[in-house]
Amino acid sequence: MVALIAKRIGAMLVILFLLVVVLFFLKQISPGDPVHLMLGGQASATAIAHERHVLGLDRPVTSQFAHYLDRLIFHADPGMSYVTRRSVRTDLATFMPATLELAAAGLIIALVLGTILAFATTLKVRGSSAFRVILIVGASTPAFLLGVAGVVLFYEHLGWLPSSGRTSYLNAPTGPTHLLTVDSLLHGRLNLFWDAIKHLVLPAVSIALGPAVAIGRVLRSSLIEDLGSDYARTARAKGLTELRILRKHILRNAIGAAMSMTGLQVGLMFAGVLVVEQVFSWPGIGLYVSQAIQHEDFPAIAGVTLVLGAVYVVINTIVDVLQAVADPRIKV
Amino acid sequence: MAIAEPIERAPLVELPRRMRRPRLSRSRRFSWLAASLLLITTVVAVLAPVLAPHDPTTTSIYPFASPGQHGFLLGSDSTGRDLLSRTLYGMRTSWFAALVVIVVGVLIGTLIGLVSGAFGGWIDSVLMRITDGFLALPAPVLAIAVVAALGVGLVHTLIAVSIVWWPFYARIVRGEVRKLAARPHVEAAKLAGAGRLRVMLRHLLPGAIPATVVTASLDVGNLVLTLAALSFLGLGQAQPAPELGLDSALNITFLSQDVWVSAIPGLGVVLLALVGNIAGDGIRNLIDPE
Repeated sequence: MVALIAKRIGAMLVILFLLVVVLFFLKQISPGDPVHLMLGGQASATAIAHERHVLGLDRPVTSQFAHYLDRLIFHADPGMSYVTRRSVRTDLATFMPATLELAAAGLIIALVLGTILAFATTLKVRGSSAFRVILIVGASTPAFLLGVAGVVLFYEHLGWLPSSGRTSYLNAPTGPTHLLTVDSLLHGRLNLFWDAIKHLVLPAVSIALGPAVAIGRVLRSSLIEDLGSDYARTARAKGLTELRILRKHILRNAIGAAMSMTGLQVGLMFAGVLVVEQVFSWPGIGLYVSQAIQHEDFPAIAGVTLVLGAVYVVINTIVDVLQAVADPRIKV
Repeated sequence: MAIAEPIERAPLVELPRRMRRPRLSRSRRFSWLAASLLLITTVVAVLAPVLAPHDPTTTSIYPFASPGQHGFLLGSDSTGRDLLSRTLYGMRTSWFAALVVIVVGVLIGTLIGLVSGAFGGWIDSVLMRITDGFLALPAPVLAIAVVAALGVGLVHTLIAVSIVWWPFYARIVRGEVRKLAARPHVEAAKLAGAGRLRVMLRHLLPGAIPATVVTASLDVGNLVLTLAALSFLGLGQAQPAPELGLDSALNITFLSQDVWVSAIPGLGVVLLALVGNIAGDGIRNLIDPE
């Protein structure tokens, strides 16, 4: 087990290094000249030369890469934003926690919904086929349209849920984790916690529906395959109910493929998060990204890619290890 | 213990050919119907300029017209442009964009997977490490970074998404080719003196096609959704070109005024994604019935 974890972490570091190399390469080929973007069209030749020197752009590529890597590893600094002229790190620290909280909530909802979908359709619970149709249409619906539908139905018509932001409290705590649901509990403010949950529901469900269907489908097909196996028949012969057979005997065997699918879906979910944030005016990384895109602010995009890429790689490493926990036969 | 051999009985009467051939089962007919949706949608996309009642970029003095008002079948947007025409043109762009990325992804993936699976050894290791490296990164986020480096525009978005989309196909093709390479027919072909290229193209590639086609057809819906999300973030065509994701994004500001201006382009995406998913299921059932 220890060997497996060590090996996985080694692979993870290699992938992260690859990501940094890719981003550095993209920065080199990007046609936008950072000096030009920063100083504007009328800058004098000396000012341009000076700025190039300050940014280290007059040094050889290998030395630039070493510098980039050094800043990244020892200062967690992916560079300076051309637009805000602040370190991308500062911007990320401001916007990223809200995004990660939303993504985590979406992932939890996707897992729960996916499992319910798989169990209900496998056991052929009454009404499960209608449930399935709804979810498949939901999976063909872009997250932004789900968000719009959610706002219209639950905010404008029913008035049950809020339509924008993370909370309606102006005196929300700003630490220590910057995750509002966690912070409110740490400060013992239950009404704020409830408010944060209410703000999370609509955007989180909007991003969760697609991944939930993907996870549910994979889990369902593994469950059905294992229900026909000999050990399931033995369990049935002992008089166990189908639900108990699924939960106690089959789930652990069948969960591997669904876990891989979950890991993969996190990547697609990030795109959903960036989009849905704009529907709900969620103060996360989404707006930052679309402004950076408009202004060709590559360091900002690179920073976001790096953080989301790292989260994705870490989650998939955890998934790999969990798979080995669920099924000890897995080696390497 | 002796097991009785099943006895092959010759049919007593040779049935007329017409009666011997089983009719298409109901589910098979349904699958064909579903698969043909791909063709129908492509035809509609090609004919969009003919079908659209208005020019998608011409503004009028009737903003936020409700459906049917002033000759706008689905109403008009904030600058009085016809929503139906904009959505039809937008669907055309999205559909062809998704097909282009699938084709490019399949071609690159097949090439890499085939070479990797057929050669094996260090070539296989190197190619698959690269492929795994790409697969280990979140595709949409990486695509955003590539577009940011190349500059915003639909062509750059298609290049970026193709770059992050091929590794998936490389894995599938390589897996199929490895399985096939161990089969006797490949060994027989080699012994018969077939060159490496001939073995690859005649004896390995055809076997990898079914799995690739099934995966690709199931992927159309995913791709439509991913491209719509990127377009929503401003990575597609610039305004005033009709673009489903961006139209939806820009019209969200008017949500309290008129829901449909934002929802109708989104529903266009739903239609395309549903076609992709239903047709994909149909093609899978036809090629690989469980």
